[in-house]
Amino acid sequence: MLEIAIGIILGCCALGAGCAMIAGIGPGIGEGNAVARACEAIGRQPECKGSVTTTMLMGCAVAETTGLYALVIAILLIFVAPNILVGVLKNALASIPH
Amino acid sequence: MRVQEPVRKATCTILAGELLLTAVMLLVFTCLGRFDTTVLLGALLGASFAVLNFFLMGLSVQKAADQMNGAQLLPEGGEEDGAEDETDADGARPLSPQAAAARKRMQISYSLRMLMLVAAAVLGLTLPCFHPLAVVIPFLFPRIIIFFQGLHQKKEA
Repeated sequence: MLEIAIGIILGCCALGAGCAMIAGIGPGIGEGNAVARACEAIGRQPECKGSVTTTMLMGCAVAETTGLYALVIAILLIFVAPNILVGVLKNALASIPH
Repeated sequence: MRVQEPVRKATCTILAGELLLTAVMLLVFTCLGRFDTTVLLGALLGASFAVLNFFLMGLSVQKAADQMNGAQLLPEGGEEDGAEDETDADGARPLSPQAAAARKRMQISYSLRMLMLVAAAVLGLTLPCFHPLAVVIPFLFPRIIIFFQGLHQKKEA
């Protein structure tokens, strides 16, 4: 019974991590679109290249943070959460009087 | 490849901010009584990968911008044969081939950099010589640095 419960916890953590990483898709698409349009702007006005590059760089870094949040959540769900949740489960089972 | 001025400047700003915020994080760990070698090593690993990630992104952006020098752009509102599949989802003007290549380059770069960060995070979380939180927290510092940089620029303006 305990093994099944631990398996469910591990499975749910893995599923949650996978779902969290869906958020990593959006920044990639958005970043690509932003860079494509910024490149067109540079192509039209090459004299603005420096300022457009700086703005593009900062915009990409901000956009990428969403993906990083998702990554951190997924990593914590895989490596940290199972140990904590299994510990909670074992404590709960130990506190039940036989 | 030569690193251009905007990329170098932005990376230096991020590096300085990262060092400052990492120092603040270590101070917080010290105040909580949790400071040890693992925290220091974890902070170093996390901060160095965060700066490396930003620098590689800067290089990708620079390469994409360099591609556009002397590029032939589509005329405003016009379309070229074979460019129909490069339109945005909202049906916006089609991208020029160079811009479409820049978009693909950036998306590939994003995927590879994300894999690099995953590898760094897994390394930091599995090896006992690194503190897990000290590895992960510095990844989020560039966003804070850019936020404060924006505030500073607003004040100057």
